[in-house]
Amino acid sequence: MSKFDLSRRQFIGAFGATAALAGLAACNSSEPAAEGTEGEGTDTAALVGSISCSGATSFQPLVEKARDAFQDANPDVSVAISGGGSGQGLSQVAEGSVQIGRSDVFAEEKLEADQLEGLVDNQVCIVGMGPIVNADVDVDDITTEQLKGIFLGEITDWADLGGTAGTIQVIQREAGSGTRATFEAAVLGGEVAPDSFRPVAEVDSSGTVVEQVAATAGSISYVAFNYMENDGIKALTVDGIEPTQENVESGDFTIWAYEHMYTREDEDESTAAVTKAFIEFMLSDDFAATVVEEGFIPMGDMKVKKDAEGNVTAA
Amino acid sequence: MANLMPKRRLENIGLGITGFCVALVALVVVTLIFMVAQQGLTTFFVDGLNPIDFFFGQNWIPEQERYGALPMIVGSFAVTLLSTAFALPIAIGSAIFVVEVAPSFGRRIFQPFIELLVGIPSVVYGVLGLYVINSLIKAIFGDAAPTGAGILSGSLVLAIMILPTITTLSMDALRAVPNQYREGSYALGCTRWQTTWHVVLKSALPSLMTAVILGMTRAFGETLAVQMVIGGVERSMPMGLLDPASTLTAALTAGLSNAVSGSVYYHALWSLGLILLAMSLIFILIIHLIGRKGAKANG
Amino acid sequence: MASEKNGRSVALDAHVRRIDSQDKVATGVLTVIVGLVMLLVVAIIAYILVRGAGRALTPGFLTNPYNDEAVPGILYQLWDSFYMLLVTLIISVPISLGAAIFLVEYAPDNWVTSAAKTAIETLSSLPSIVVGMFGSLFFVVTLGWGISILAGACALTMFNIPILVRTIQQALEDVPRSQRDAALAMGLTRWETTINVLLPAAMPAIVTGIVLSAGRVFGEAAALIFTAGSAPARLNFASVNFLSPTNPFNIFRPACSLAVYIWRLTSEPTAGSTEIVWGTATVLLACVLLFNVLARLLGKLLSRRLTAE
Repeated sequence: MSKFDLSRRQFIGAFGATAALAGLAACNSSEPAAEGTEGEGTDTAALVGSISCSGATSFQPLVEKARDAFQDANPDVSVAISGGGSGQGLSQVAEGSVQIGRSDVFAEEKLEADQLEGLVDNQVCIVGMGPIVNADVDVDDITTEQLKGIFLGEITDWADLGGTAGTIQVIQREAGSGTRATFEAAVLGGEVAPDSFRPVAEVDSSGTVVEQVAATAGSISYVAFNYMENDGIKALTVDGIEPTQENVESGDFTIWAYEHMYTREDEDESTAAVTKAFIEFMLSDDFAATVVEEGFIPMGDMKVKKDAEGNVTAA
Repeated sequence: MANLMPKRRLENIGLGITGFCVALVALVVVTLIFMVAQQGLTTFFVDGLNPIDFFFGQNWIPEQERYGALPMIVGSFAVTLLSTAFALPIAIGSAIFVVEVAPSFGRRIFQPFIELLVGIPSVVYGVLGLYVINSLIKAIFGDAAPTGAGILSGSLVLAIMILPTITTLSMDALRAVPNQYREGSYALGCTRWQTTWHVVLKSALPSLMTAVILGMTRAFGETLAVQMVIGGVERSMPMGLLDPASTLTAALTAGLSNAVSGSVYYHALWSLGLILLAMSLIFILIIHLIGRKGAKANG
Repeated sequence: MASEKNGRSVALDAHVRRIDSQDKVATGVLTVIVGLVMLLVVAIIAYILVRGAGRALTPGFLTNPYNDEAVPGILYQLWDSFYMLLVTLIISVPISLGAAIFLVEYAPDNWVTSAAKTAIETLSSLPSIVVGMFGSLFFVVTLGWGISILAGACALTMFNIPILVRTIQQALEDVPRSQRDAALAMGLTRWETTINVLLPAAMPAIVTGIVLSAGRVFGEAAALIFTAGSAPARLNFASVNFLSPTNPFNIFRPACSLAVYIWRLTSEPTAGSTEIVWGTATVLLACVLLFNVLARLLGKLLSRRLTAE
């Protein structure tokens, strides 16, 4: 009966007059709505329901791949995926308007203590990132100290790094980007650039970083591993260590972060099963190959772990 | 009497329905102003940011909890004024040509051309700016503009976008000048240029100013086209026209997806929205003032 | 005496020559300006077509989903654009019609009316991102619609209303005074006059206005990013479940219009996305131009039919 009721509302919504607007506001306050799973029998019986997942765009393509496979296996399930950035994902899952909020930073860094209540952190994979430069830059290795100097505005010429003289053009990510937070936590060690420091651009995605670095002579920036294989750019080794999956897993390469999918402890029964199954699917061994294919690192192979404060310990 | 009742009821129903529509629109506008003001003022009244630090602070560094909006305010005004300066002579010039020199060409050929420009969506202008204007600026200025993004390219894109607005409104303004004025001037032996310069432009001045203000309103509020070409650096003050910078609208577009609702950063972004809202109200006020003054001048 | 007269005429001659040449120079400069403007328009359109027409005409581009392996297309974005436009018009046309009729027929000459006019004027000058952020709080969170087509359509409605109200108002005012007087003299109420006389007479202009405004709404992006979302939705045209986020008709699912898709691809480029950007830009431009042509044709057709009767 509830099913009939909901679809009738939806029908009115799709074809109805504007007079229905006010009423719809009330009806759909629980939107994105989930179809009732009738409670029992989620073990062997087919999963039914629809959930929403919003947030970080950095690993959205991976989640979309997972969604496609997951929906193929469970035809009565639908997962609506939207972007919006880590901030949106976290606030929406905190206020309960989506079931899963994607973030590439720990929720502790963005939310207030009272918003954190009831949130469950599901770390689904790991992203490694490293510095990239324009392909014409004749420097191949950089130390963490030098990297820090560049992004603090202290080192401004490639000659200081043993390359051909030329201005170092720093391309930054937007303030608030998860990639930037991870990079700065691992490289700057809590120091902040002086006010006078001006990057040559602040861009809002890794794809743009690649494009800009390839097009700008003498430029340097940082991206996740899966963006490093591109024309016109070159990945640097850091302290002589290659930015590879193996080096992140062993703990030698230190610039990496978890990709989180936050859920709620007190999620509505009608969707909890679907949410749980979807997260389990993301972590499953079957899906690990896709994770690697997309340039991420599965959780299972890590020999170290990080906490919200950035402390690294053996796993 | 019995026959009149349904008529009166019908009239009341009509009044009710249409009045409801107007009330709804007004209500939405009031809600919008209220919400933007409420969220935007939270920054100062609840989060305790000093308004002086906010409006005159030269550094916008959210991760250090520093919210100085001056770089974006300066950026917005710079691109608005500069784009108006680029577009104004061209727009007024074309309007004079098609109204005073070649009216039939103006109506049949030029007007549809200009309307084509109006029709192009702003993201398409953004794409053109990103791939064409930025590359051009980079090629021309070399190392001074490493990525080509900056206030100059933002202003150029905006100039193209507000050109049709100012042109069509100026055309209307010139056409509205009574023909007797021109005939009187010609009868005195004035040339076409003298007539245009001393008589037509002077009497159309208030409407022309309205056209310019409306163009500036559009430039000030334009979002994606600017955001795509300006470089997005909010951290500190831009030092030159080739310096990458940001505007209020660009900072909002980039910031809203990263800010968590309820945080100081989020409220600070709404304060930027509040500035935008206040500016568009000010622009409306200016247009009204010009209109009133024009009406007074014409008796 | 003669020399003085002569001198005066020489001075006059010089003056006439000067203003004549001034006139010629001014006309010349103006001609050049107009030529440049037209060249600019042609160059812009031609450039977009040259960069994008190839991709736009590739078989499959218009009919494939965005994640197609061989030819990634824009089918879903096209659908979302038109569907969101439809929802927007369903909401905004009745409201604008009502508001315009009120302002033309009923509006008492007092502060209520001038406040309403100011409200509409304010709406027309709001930056689109402000409408977007208002929508992201009011429609998405306060009313609980989530990131959805409905929230996006309501944000678009806020743009559309001032344009529509103005054109409908103009159309109603342009109806000859005699028609209105005749109807009122026959004892019809103002409401009956409006419905039976004014609206039919103004219909061609109203339809033209609606279609023209549709063209503007179609290209809007900034107000949609935070209300309807920017992630390309995955649609299933065989779906009959109106609740499913893959059902194309579900107005409570996120959607990504053509304009938003362009913005998304330029701010998050991937390999080969530049091609898609230009292709999509061409399609978007073609759609907007189509709306303009359609508006003119419909206006002409309707007015011919109405005057023929």
